[in-house]
Amino acid sequence: MKNTLMIIVLGILVIGVGYFIFNSDKPVINGSTVQITNEEAQKIVLSEKNYNYYPQEIRVKAGQPVSLSLDKSVAGCLRSFTINDLGVAKHLRTPSDTLDFTPQKTGTYTFACSMGMGYGKLIVE
Amino acid sequence: MSFKQFIKELNGKRVEGELIKTIFYSLLTSFVLLGLLYYFKLRYISDFLPKYGFYLFFSALSYALIMPAMRQVRSHKEFPCMSGMMIGMTFGMISSFLPGFYIAATNGMFIGGFFGIAIGVIFGIWNGKCCGVMGSMEGIMSGFMGGLMGAMTAFMLLNDHLIYAGVLVFVISAVIMVKLNYMIYIETKDHERGKKEDNLLTIALTFILIAITTWIIVYGPRSAIFQ
Repeated sequence: MKNTLMIIVLGILVIGVGYFIFNSDKPVINGSTVQITNEEAQKIVLSEKNYNYYPQEIRVKAGQPVSLSLDKSVAGCLRSFTINDLGVAKHLRTPSDTLDFTPQKTGTYTFACSMGMGYGKLIVE
Repeated sequence: MSFKQFIKELNGKRVEGELIKTIFYSLLTSFVLLGLLYYFKLRYISDFLPKYGFYLFFSALSYALIMPAMRQVRSHKEFPCMSGMMIGMTFGMISSFLPGFYIAATNGMFIGGFFGIAIGVIFGIWNGKCCGVMGSMEGIMSGFMGGLMGAMTAFMLLNDHLIYAGVLVFVISAVIMVKLNYMIYIETKDHERGKKEDNLLTIALTFILIAITTWIIVYGPRSAIFQ
């Protein structure tokens, strides 16, 4: 096969496979993004212990707002709090800053700092 | 010696004339294997394509990027010390950074880092030995560094623009590998070709690499953050 023809076939191959992959359905996000309601929030305060979040496992109820904050022991990149699967992320600069969201579906979600150094589980029941 | 002459040589009778063919065979091998695995097994895994598709696609492209330079090196076998060191270093770095990056994005830094190191060190030694012990040493060192760096970069970008970074890292690596092809061409343009080989090694190596990468990304052990 000549090089020109090969380059054309290569281009079609890469674009075709790339299109197939990038056009696939996005993963279903269980739960919701930030949603403020009038219901009483489930307050959670996380600390830092052994260079990680403490506690590393949080349990909350589905459909009820959650108000999460980090106390003053939490430092560095751990203050940038994220729950990727819920589409929730916020830099909680001070202990009074809160991350408010309402998880809609039950399940276990990993929370982590923005660089993945500290992590834990959020169990929505 | 201009870059234009190198481009012209891509259609020539020297080993440079086989570079595009090597990319073609490598990509074809990866896509056929991935296509078969997807059709018979992987499509039943929930969210397989959105979760792992991008990383497998770019892993396949990465391996296709490494193979042509390897063919060039193998066709000449011996290089001056300086060129050999650059060959060992580039191979070690690129062949460890890219797999390390894409695997760390799905499995975590430990698995990504050490898989990247393994691939980088093997390729670094294999190709760097064309100039003796110094090239091999460069291969080992850069494989070690690239594997950890690739994995660390991906892991630290998990909550940032990881997909864009994945594309950029690939594009930069592609430019480096093309420059390596060009460098090898300049170094060897006055020499006779030492060895002529078919595409079996390219196909076999790509097959092994993409099979292992797929297994690790889909079924391999993961860091706690991915569990």
